[in-house]
Formats: sequence, C-alpha cells, structure tokens
Amino acid sequence: MIENIQLRRVLPDVFKGMENDMPMNPSDIWLRDVDIHRPDSCLIEADSGTGKSSLCSFIYGCRGDYSGTISFDGTDISTFSTAQWCRLRTHALAYLPQELNLFPELTVMENIEIKNRLTDCKSTAWIKSTLQRLDIDAKADVPVRFLSVGQQQRVAIVRALCQPFDFLLIDEPVSHLDQRNNSIVASLIKEEAETNGASIIATSVGNKIDINFHSTLRL
Amino acid sequence: MKQSIVWRLLRHNISAKQLAGYAIANLLGLTIVVAALQFYSDIKGIWNDDDSFISRDYIIISRKVSGIGSIFRKDATNFSETDIAEIERQPWARRVGKFTASGFNVSANVEMGGCGLSTALFLEAIPSEFFDIIPDGWSYSPADSSATVPIILSKDYLTLYNFGFASARGLPQISEGMISMLPLRLSISGNGRQRYFKARIAGFSSRLNTIAVPEEFMTWANANFSEKNSTDPSRLIIEVSSPGDPAITDFLDNNGYESAGDKADNGRASYFLAVSTAVVITIGAVISLLAFFILLLSIDLLLQKNRRVINLLLMQGYTPGAVGRYYTGIVLTINSIVTVGAIALMLCVRLLWKGQLSSIGIEGASPLIAISAAVIIMAAITFGNIRSITGTINRIFPRPGRR
Repeated sequence: MIENIQLRRVLPDVFKGMENDMPMNPSDIWLRDVDIHRPDSCLIEADSGTGKSSLCSFIYGCRGDYSGTISFDGTDISTFSTAQWCRLRTHALAYLPQELNLFPELTVMENIEIKNRLTDCKSTAWIKSTLQRLDIDAKADVPVRFLSVGQQQRVAIVRALCQPFDFLLIDEPVSHLDQRNNSIVASLIKEEAETNGASIIATSVGNKIDINFHSTLRL
Repeated sequence: MKQSIVWRLLRHNISAKQLAGYAIANLLGLTIVVAALQFYSDIKGIWNDDDSFISRDYIIISRKVSGIGSIFRKDATNFSETDIAEIERQPWARRVGKFTASGFNVSANVEMGGCGLSTALFLEAIPSEFFDIIPDGWSYSPADSSATVPIILSKDYLTLYNFGFASARGLPQISEGMISMLPLRLSISGNGRQRYFKARIAGFSSRLNTIAVPEEFMTWANANFSEKNSTDPSRLIIEVSSPGDPAITDFLDNNGYESAGDKADNGRASYFLAVSTAVVITIGAVISLLAFFILLLSIDLLLQKNRRVINLLLMQGYTPGAVGRYYTGIVLTINSIVTVGAIALMLCVRLLWKGQLSSIGIEGASPLIAISAAVIIMAAITFGNIRSITGTINRIFPRPGRR
C-alpha cells in the first residue's frame, strides 16, 4: 500500500544547469517539495518537452536519471529491491505510459490478459463489458497493430486498470480520443479509482481528461 | 494461456540453427571427454591388477639366467652381500628384502573329488614387513605341532592349472575361493628326516611370483631339514620410490638383473596412457568450452534482440525469474538432451573396445565415474548459462538504478 508520494527537489539530469531558465522556473514540481496524498487526484499540466513523461517514468521507477528524491511513504524509491518493484507494479502502482507499450503482435484480449493473468484482478466478463463500453469489443481478437492509435489507447487503459492500485499514473490518457470517448474513459477511470480508494495522477499537454482533480500542478 | 502468450512473445528470434550448432558441438565435446575417461578407467585395469598383499611400489628382481656359467656355478644367479649393499645405495631404493629359499624337499598333496594330486614344490619366504596387508593367519608357530602352514600362491600358477593343465587333462577348473578351501598336505624331507604338515592357501598374489610361506616357518624348517648352510638369496624384493622411474630400468640392465613381470615397463605404458588420455580429454574439454561460449553468446544475442519485449513484460510487473524461466527452460532441455546423448554415445562407443578387453579377461570399470563426470560438467555449463540469463534479465529490469 502506498499512502503518499513525495517529491523532494527532483530535477531531471537533462535539465541540470538550467535551474533558473524555463521550464524549470517557474515550475510547481521541478526543484520543489511536492506531496500527493491518497486519494487526492492531481493533474499535471505541461508544455511539450518539459519532462512530464520523464516524471511518470521516475515515479514508476523505470528511470533514475534525476537528482533529488522521490519517496513512497517516506522510503526513497531508489532503494527498492526488484521484488518490491514487481509487487508495487502489480498491486499498488498502475501506469498508462504515453507510448502505450502494447505488444503489437498480440490481440486486444491477449494484451489485456498478459496483465490480468499476472494480477488475477478482473473477470473475463468485466474485460468484455469494458471493451464494449469503450466501443472496441469487436476488435477483441484482432492484433493490436491493426488498431488505430485511439483504439490502442483504450486497450492500454483497460490493461492498466487490470490490477489493484493506490496510485494510477496516466500519461496523456486521452490525447487521441474524441470528446465522447474522453467522457467514457474518464467515468471508467473515476469508478475504478473510487473502488480502489486510489489517487489519479494525470498529465496533459492540452486535451484534458474529464475528471475533477483536487489540484493542478504546472510542470 | 498466460504461459503461451508470454512464450509467444519471448520465443521470437530464437535461432534453431544456433541452438542445434551448440547442441552438436557440445555433444561432440562431451562425448570425447566421457569416452576418453571411460576408456582410461576400463583399460587401466590391465596395469592396476589389484593385489591385496603387495603394492605397486615393490619390484622383485633376479639375475638373468644366461650362459653356461649358471649351470656349473650354482651361486651364479645369487645376490651377494656386496650386490645387495649396492642396490641399497640407489636413490630409488627404499628397502631391500631377501627371498629365503627352502633347503629341503617339499611335495604337496591334495585330495580332490577322490582324485589325489601330488606334486614336488619349492617354497620361499619374504620378510613380513613387505606385505601391505598381512594375509589372514599369516604366522606359524613350530611349538604347535598341529599348526597349519599358510601359503600365498602366485595367481599365474592357478591360471596355468586352470587353462593349461586342467583343460588339457579334463580336470575341473577351480576358482580362488575353492582352492582356498582345499585341505593340502605338505611333505617335507631332508637332513635324514621327513614330516607332514597341514597347509592351506591363504591368498593369491599377482605380484609375488612364487609360493610363499611365513618367514618363521622357513627359518624353523631350514634349521631342521636343510643340509646346506644358508646361501645368498636368488631373488630380492625392493621397495622403490617410483615404480616407473627409468633409473631403475637402467640400473637393472647395467647389472644384468631383471624384474619380475616387467612392472616397470607397465608403469611407463600406464603413464603414456594417462598422458594420451589427458590430451584427448583436453581436446574434448576445449570443444565443450567453446560450445558453452556459443550457447552463452547465442542466448545473450537472443536476450538482446528480445530486450524490448522483456523490458515491457517486466514493466507490467513480471519478475525476472518468471521471464527468465522460459530461457532457462530452453537451456535445461538442450543440456539434458546433450548429457543423455553423450552418455548414450559413450556407452555405444565403449562396445568397440569392451569386447576386445573382455576377450583378454578384463571386465572394465563401471561407467558410473564417466556418467557422473558428464552430469557434473553439464551441470556446471548449465549453471553458467542460467547465471548469464539471470544476469542479463536483471540488467534489463526497469529500476531507478541511480548512478
């Protein structure tokens, strides 16, 4: 269980030496002390190239090229073991990366199963009804590479939700969705977050997901 | 279903050709190693003819019998005190013991299935300290008139009887165990006396080319039945530091001595066998080692090619163990096949020499050592491969891994 995420003077290595320039200054996150408590949701607004995907990668623990400290409940995440990371990624921290990270050669269903079989979290019926709700149920057995980016984005969202989580990191979740799908995805994510009592941390460069966030931070 | 999806992702880029190349190369290398090992352990039985009494560190020498001198001069083949002192001075000689010959007439009588056999014999004695293992009941007390005289017989005599005499005369062949149970009767005469003794075969020796009795018996019997004063010995037993030492052969040749059974030559032949086996094993080991690196590189290349898929699976929360399991499975399967294949090939190849060896009466060693060697070598190779797989996947694992 993660109760809160703390960022302490975090700065991507790539921005070193630019501490007083844009976009480091002004920024609500880089080189600041930030605390996100569960179940508060937080929107991170940013321009392109300000490091929002890097921030998601740092929090999800797949990159370490930053200075400062990121902690979960007071423990520096750079000290976590491999086993701790595996447990966090299947039980506490869900992540929708901007690049989606789907397996193009696998079908929609297989891409979702690959996560769900690991966590044993959702029933096949739930998956099917959710695909239906997102209007991609007809594509269930189609290899993902034949889907449009918007469809792929919805598949990746379903997959990200196939696990219990305390924090849901979603990197530009609706960048390729129209308003109607944006609303459907938003209500789905809200429901799941509420069920889990979880925080949503979403990023956006413009197309925002339809959720009322507790706070909005400017990167 | 989970397994099959993950496996479908991870089996991409597996090169059947590379794996087959590895399997064949390692099969060849491992077969050479284990077959050479097996050949060595089978054939070394020729030289390591076990002798429970006298070890290989002893040689038994006598003078060469040649020319007319030996007919006229009875002591021409004996060793004088000077000769013995000279041998004792040699750096390779640790101890020298004399064979004491009997100075009386001996004949032995055995009752076998109603058929009595009687033969004239000779007896010799060597000091007891030259036995590695003192045979059971190897003592004689002259005070006890009913005491049994223990005898150690050369194995060659039994062989001569079984395959020469018995088969030619239609007599039953007898085993070592049977002959040890036969009651023998020794008749000893000389110095105007005659006496009968009970005797039994206490053991057989392949190194002691004589009929040996305890020194106590010989001393007592010579004192009572011999008409001669004690003479110089005609055979010596020498404890040497290294039986294969060429200096021994040179010394024996220069002095006109010869060693019984050519054990020194055997020492050199077995040394040569050991060297050539080591060369063959090294060649096999080098092939196996190269094959090991082929697999190591092949698997590493496979992991590098599948790096993205592995990384994405680990991002989903799969453990490095769960991902690596598929690759370690491949390694375990191939290596098990190679191990079984190499053992099977070795056993087949072994038939080539086994028939010939058994025709000269050598049973061959148990293949357990070679099989264990194959298993140990392959376990080491598998361990190395699995470590490499685990290491590579752990490096791919997405973690902050900072600085």
